[in-house]
Amino acid sequence: MSRTSHPQPTPQPQERPVSTATQSSPWRHQVERALSSNIAPIVAALIIVSVALSFMSDVFLTSSNLTNIVTQSAVVGIAAVGATFVIITSGIDLSVGATMALAGFLGAQLAHHSDSGWLGLLAVMGVAVLVGAFNGFSVAWLGLAPFIVTLAVMGMARGLTLQFSQGESVYDLPSTLNWLGSADLAGLKVSAIVTVLLFLVGHLLLSRTTFGHRVYAVGGNADAARLAGINVKGVIFSTYVIAAVCAGVAAIVLVGRLDSATPNAATGTELQVIAAVVIGGTSLFGGKGSMIGTLVGVLLIGVINNGLTLLNVSSFWVQFVQGALIFLAVLLDSFNTGRLKRAATS
Amino acid sequence: MPIVSVQGVSKRFGAVTVLDGVDFAFRAGEVTGLVGENGAGKSTLIKILAGAETPTAGSVVLGGEQLPSTTGDVIAAGLSVIYQELTDVPDMTLLDNVLLGNLSSRGGLTRRGENRRRAKAGLSRVGLGELDLRTPIRDLTISQRQLAEIARCLVRDTRVLILDEPTSSLPERDVETLLSVVRTLRDEGIAILYVTHHLDELFDVADRVVVLRDGNLVGDQPIGQWDEPSLVRSMLAKELEQAYPWRPRDVGEPALVTRGLVARGVKDTSIHADRGEVVGLVGLAGSGRTELMKAVGGVAHVVSGEVSVAGRRVRTGSIAAARSAGVVYVPEDRKAEGLVLDASVRSNIAMGDYAPVSRRGLLRSGVMTRRAQEITSKYDVKLGSVHQEIGKLSGGNQQKVIVGRVSEMSPRVVLFDDPTRGVDIGAKSGIYEHVFTLAEKGSAVMVCSSDTDEVLAVADRVYVLAAGRVVGEFARGSFDREKILHLAAGGSAVSEPPA
Repeated sequence: MSRTSHPQPTPQPQERPVSTATQSSPWRHQVERALSSNIAPIVAALIIVSVALSFMSDVFLTSSNLTNIVTQSAVVGIAAVGATFVIITSGIDLSVGATMALAGFLGAQLAHHSDSGWLGLLAVMGVAVLVGAFNGFSVAWLGLAPFIVTLAVMGMARGLTLQFSQGESVYDLPSTLNWLGSADLAGLKVSAIVTVLLFLVGHLLLSRTTFGHRVYAVGGNADAARLAGINVKGVIFSTYVIAAVCAGVAAIVLVGRLDSATPNAATGTELQVIAAVVIGGTSLFGGKGSMIGTLVGVLLIGVINNGLTLLNVSSFWVQFVQGALIFLAVLLDSFNTGRLKRAATS
Repeated sequence: MPIVSVQGVSKRFGAVTVLDGVDFAFRAGEVTGLVGENGAGKSTLIKILAGAETPTAGSVVLGGEQLPSTTGDVIAAGLSVIYQELTDVPDMTLLDNVLLGNLSSRGGLTRRGENRRRAKAGLSRVGLGELDLRTPIRDLTISQRQLAEIARCLVRDTRVLILDEPTSSLPERDVETLLSVVRTLRDEGIAILYVTHHLDELFDVADRVVVLRDGNLVGDQPIGQWDEPSLVRSMLAKELEQAYPWRPRDVGEPALVTRGLVARGVKDTSIHADRGEVVGLVGLAGSGRTELMKAVGGVAHVVSGEVSVAGRRVRTGSIAAARSAGVVYVPEDRKAEGLVLDASVRSNIAMGDYAPVSRRGLLRSGVMTRRAQEITSKYDVKLGSVHQEIGKLSGGNQQKVIVGRVSEMSPRVVLFDDPTRGVDIGAKSGIYEHVFTLAEKGSAVMVCSSDTDEVLAVADRVYVLAAGRVVGEFARGSFDREKILHLAAGGSAVSEPPA
């Protein structure tokens, strides 16, 4: 706790012992912050689970299995990049999975009929951006609650997908549309490379740009951000569009991997996405979080899913474990933000 | 026999000692005043008394027994705290709020008659016996809600009442009502600990005053043995020569001019503020001080009228337009509207003003850190590191960060809405020092405060507002406190234009 100053006749920048502390090396500071941040326990969890699995299964540590984990995590990972922005503003996007299904299906159908992969790609992204803009507009300018808006949009998007498809899947897609989800490049899956690139872009956007700083400010205190001259509505709108753009890319990967688009694709993906982001230390109360955390969260979920499959655990348990993970993540979040302590003492 | 005695209480957070062997007691039927600068340890002491914190050493005895260790048990033992912010449930009725968590029931059904009687009894002790119990509490005034909160404690048979800055959000005319309730409760035999920054209230109501400084108890005497200078000396450990170091300044051409401004709570207001001038807005709560500032700052919607800055009309109702014209509004409630409390000092300084710390949208981390260090040192912010959470700084230091952030934008017009709210005397003068420097560099500064004397002490010229209108204008030479307060209270309009 600091003492307030005594009145002084003129303000003088003085030599103070405290100011030397602020000039210590930025590296030391970053290391300290990383250790004290929300990420440390989750990195530890990832390591422990991985070590345990490598003992329990001979297959786990093979390079093909590890590549498999990354590839399997691509869809959730790409969508989680966008969701991180939304959640930092203290918003939520439940429509990610349904958006992927709608955009993926319409794009695939267009590509199938026109036999143009490029047209299909454009359609996927176009539909996704429209949905994101609808979400963003409703939350930012109409002032509706993000949870309800995106829940409603999830229902609408699923309904539209079923209506357009009449429940039928689309097959036989042009190779251009499938490239992102299925091709290899220099021995690696293109989808894995794209995932890593998107994480990098997301990380730089969040941590190194004025836009990223605005996102944190809006999530930390929207009133203060507005009075500090930040276009709060614009920032909120942008985060939903970013989330939808990421959902669009994820849809392309999903369609490409399966060489088909099914109306029930990506059901429940939104929960995995939110779980990954929250497990990664991004606070549902807004203002706190990082892309690195989300990456670790995605990997942890990927490793656990993979481990359960390797150990022949029933897929019903897989769903239970994912639900439990979300609960643990929210508990951790509440604990970190001190709400638990306050709730317990009041 | 004291009802509460604090015995050698110390509290350490890590290496920081916040309270150091504090010893004092307070008695039933007495008002004990507690004063100290921000950071002196008052809040921690209150938290310990409320059972929300446990002392590192020492103990608290309540009515001959050890103070319980949870907030619920402390309340049950008869000690209640009224906090600065209201803790009522706005949508519930007066009855439900007064009996919050305390409704009488039989067989699971509430006993309506019994509950009404109990609520009425509690409310009459604070002078609210005439109010309809079915009123939603959000429809009452702030001071009525605060009194209702006291009534809630009385219904629970409180023997000890701790009031933490009870007048900080009250309009001036309601302060006396609260003080008279405090006197009544004292005469009924309740022990009252009254924590405040307003020394005049203590001379009005306290029987005894204790002073905390840097976690130590440095004074404990009957009120008759204190006077204002000796209290201030005891709090600050030095003489406060001049709380507000006003000095004459050169005033230039008009920087801000409004004509016939109409907005919510603002009626047909035409004012001006000139380069280098500090203009005060005096008015009771609800007079339109804040609303006028928000209208000028582009924060609130403007119905009609115009705002010009440096001779150019500014689009109203847009913070961005006001900003680009050089007008900055600094909100009253720094915690709710001024800062991101969880974020670092560095981050708060950069917020919304990215030009100095970015290039083509990319933040320059090193520049951000260096700039934050420069500003915090220039504005005397006491902190460990610019990377620490701003919420951990004292109120005065938080406000200095805000003043620094705004001043470094070299704005044409700055609107400070109650800049020293909840800040102690020592830090107040530090803040005004920077406000004067800002004016000397050519900004037009507008200030309002819940403390009229403070505005009169710092302003070159004041406008008096009542019910949304300007009802008077005075230059520093002709400040007349009585007349200004009379006008603000709705007296007949007189204007004495500056000589």
